[in-house]
Amino acid sequence: MDIFANLLTGFTVALSWQNILFCGLGVLFGQLVGVLPGIGAPTAIALLLPLTFSMSPTTAIIMLAGIYYGVAYGGTITSVLINVPGESSTVMTTLDGHQMALQGRAGPALSVAALGSFIAGTLSVVVLMSFAPILARFALRFGPAEYFGLTAMAFGLLTVLGGGDPVKIIIATLTGLFFATIGIDVVSGLPRFAFGVPELLGGIDPIVIITGMFGIAEVFNSIEEEVRTDILKAKFRFRDVFLTWQDWVKSRWGILRGAVIGFVVGMLPAGGITTASFLAYLMEKRVSKSPERFGRGAIEGVAAPESANNAASISGFAPLLALGLPGSPTTAILLAGFMMWGIRPGPMLFQNNADLVWGLFASMYVGNVMLVLMNIFLIPAFVTVLRLPYTILMGLIVVFSTVGAFSANNNLFDIWMMLGLGVLGYLMKKLHYPVVPLILALVLGKLAENSLRQALTLSGGSMGIFFKRPISAVFVSLAILAYLFPLVQWAVKSRRRRRGLAEE
Amino acid sequence: MGVANLLAGIVVLFFGSLVTYSASQLPYRGEYGPGPGFLPLWIGIVLIGCAIATIIKAARQYGHEEQTFIHPKTRQVAFVFATLIVTFLLVRVVGLSLGLALFTGFTMRAAGKHSWILCIVMAVVTTAVVRVIFGVMLDIPLPKGVVGL
Repeated sequence: MDIFANLLTGFTVALSWQNILFCGLGVLFGQLVGVLPGIGAPTAIALLLPLTFSMSPTTAIIMLAGIYYGVAYGGTITSVLINVPGESSTVMTTLDGHQMALQGRAGPALSVAALGSFIAGTLSVVVLMSFAPILARFALRFGPAEYFGLTAMAFGLLTVLGGGDPVKIIIATLTGLFFATIGIDVVSGLPRFAFGVPELLGGIDPIVIITGMFGIAEVFNSIEEEVRTDILKAKFRFRDVFLTWQDWVKSRWGILRGAVIGFVVGMLPAGGITTASFLAYLMEKRVSKSPERFGRGAIEGVAAPESANNAASISGFAPLLALGLPGSPTTAILLAGFMMWGIRPGPMLFQNNADLVWGLFASMYVGNVMLVLMNIFLIPAFVTVLRLPYTILMGLIVVFSTVGAFSANNNLFDIWMMLGLGVLGYLMKKLHYPVVPLILALVLGKLAENSLRQALTLSGGSMGIFFKRPISAVFVSLAILAYLFPLVQWAVKSRRRRRGLAEE
Repeated sequence: MGVANLLAGIVVLFFGSLVTYSASQLPYRGEYGPGPGFLPLWIGIVLIGCAIATIIKAARQYGHEEQTFIHPKTRQVAFVFATLIVTFLLVRVVGLSLGLALFTGFTMRAAGKHSWILCIVMAVVTTAVVRVIFGVMLDIPLPKGVVGL
């Protein structure tokens, strides 16, 4: 009964005219961002974060969340029509979605993506509402040792699941942790790593780092990447948009499987919406009676990954709200937003800010309904946006990033800092150093360090405290295993190589 | 790319050494537990280890990498970067909103070859949007420079 009473309160919040308006603006902006290949969800949210300074936190999070799950819908349009994913989470959609478009079935491809996203998104909100409060109650048992274990586990899983060179991931994580330590130490009052610069005594504001590494760096990287805009000349007659009964029969189980995979993967640190869509596609191909149709325009090859990416974008809110643990770059930026509004996500959020939590959950139903309607009626309008030249978009990104960085402390020093971090982000991407672990470590760095110091103070300096308490023992053990995994992998590979050479 | 990776490893090595040295100047232990230098010192030490691993790997792969660091469009990136530096230097004179408007108009003309009219319109719109949204609605004290915009 609690859930229904809370949901009723949530709908009272979500259906106020301000929240409906900002939810609508959020999902519309998310759709636009998803359509534009040169800009992603983290960048869009980073650019709009400073605009939310004067909003109520509930309205702000409703709008920013709308952008997040709106992007997953929007990226599909470019994947289907021009074979260029607007977002990494819609890469798998290009395989069958574009083939369907080439066969004159762009309408059903976009419709099944919208319908699948709607069904999976709505189911995810239902499960999230039931699951997140349980997770929050469980997290009430957490002390400093558990919180340190949790952050260490998140960093460790990122190293294993993040893909790419584990050493580069560790370097990025440590750089983020270092950035988090800059400024006056709250325990001793001593300045750390300010190097005589007074502006650094207060630390580097996460907004400055995020606008630099996502806004400015994205501009530099996008200039070097070729973006195709040769739009398929698809007809969008209203009747062609709807699915046939046969289409529905083929895709319904894919939608459900995608929803389940998406929800589970979306909650894992470093799981993310891209991995969810990838796994859902592979699963669909594996269970199919005719896997040879995949890659040639199979409608379930569009339905499953699209359902998964939407479910994952919603389930990512469970660890963020209940534990204060972001699992993706976008939720990491949202965590920075919560800090900016003076709210600490975690188990107490469900008690202290129940309106915000339940208002957000209720707004997800509203946002998903808006998105499915937009996808049916406004696709031709979104296609027009694809023609926006990048030189105009680049100006907009620079303007919003610069003013956003300045407004963090009303300080010109911050825009120079943003530019420097933009160059760092650009070089990191070119050299295959991932930015996500840096941002995650930056926003979790203070929690990780404070928990570590508190736990070691309680234990008189003994590391045994992390293994005496069962929950923290599980977290820390998982973190250690995660960091050892690349070493084991390397040892196995070297042994195989040596054995191969010996046999030759 | 091999040289770039090697240089990146050397930069990380320098960065790790700087963090380690600076952290060693801070107390490792506090009155009741770990001090402010505790975590940063370990960050620096592990960074040095990772840098050495990166340098060894880059040296082994040297000459076998197909990708190149310098791209045909890298010059355009350098151009936008230089324009941003000039824009930020100009902010104290022309103000933030006008400075960003000049950046928008100039890059649209120089990099996008858009018409003068469109560039001027976009520059004016940028000034107005920045002033109205951030300056008036959000009440952020944007630097106005000598020009007063």
